[in-house]
Amino acid sequence: MALVLAWGLILMGAGFFLAGTIGLLRFPNVFSRLHALTKADNVGLGLLALGLAILAGSPWVALKLALIWLLALLAGTVSCHLIARYALREQGGREQARP
Amino acid sequence: MSEPRRLTSRRLFWALTGAVLLWTLFTAGQGWDPLGLLVVTAATLAGAWWTPLWLRPVRWHALPGFGLYFVDRSVRGGVDVAWRALQPTMPLQPQWRVRPLRLPAGGPRSLLVSVISLMPGTLCAELVDDELVVHALAQGLDGELDELERRIARLYALE
Repeated sequence: MALVLAWGLILMGAGFFLAGTIGLLRFPNVFSRLHALTKADNVGLGLLALGLAILAGSPWVALKLALIWLLALLAGTVSCHLIARYALREQGGREQARP
Repeated sequence: MSEPRRLTSRRLFWALTGAVLLWTLFTAGQGWDPLGLLVVTAATLAGAWWTPLWLRPVRWHALPGFGLYFVDRSVRGGVDVAWRALQPTMPLQPQWRVRPLRLPAGGPRSLLVSVISLMPGTLCAELVDDELVVHALAQGLDGELDELERRIARLYALE
């Protein structure tokens, strides 16, 4: 039962990575692409880590995976902000964003 | 003006606690050889030295609620963007929102910027003294951002 749940979570996580990558390829500009990458990968990695933690069956590994997810989350959201800021400044800054 | 003291016993204590917890986690509680002690000592000194001198206090009892809210919104964010990417028609209405910044600098603002990019449909692009420039994938997401600001204000006891 735990095995089925774990593999279900891992497959779902992989599905989110796939959807994020499809978004990266299909979305029209750098900002929309960043949405796809950051958000889908965050959920994908979370599900993957959860599934692997169940497979490992050890609280130490589970805690380590949780920490990895947290750090990847932090790195993802900060680099997303920095890339978006750089792209916006390249395109003329916030004046360009005003409606 | 004299340089404020960074290696006070209080700061060292908290840095040591953090370093011991992290090292225990990394090594599954098995890492207490000379190398481990060296690593923990170095991490404690580095942590006490580089942690900002003043951190805005957090309401600890509000933290679990905020964590749940964050997990809920970021899962919705992932599902929302995956759905948009996989739809054949790809329903996107990319647009910019320029919002006044109400939260004070430091922890609250950093948290706001980090969380915005993981919430459904919003992404923080620019943060200047008084304004926040957000890229949105759809219309009508301002309510979500208001809610997030309210929750961060509650977490930091600012309201």
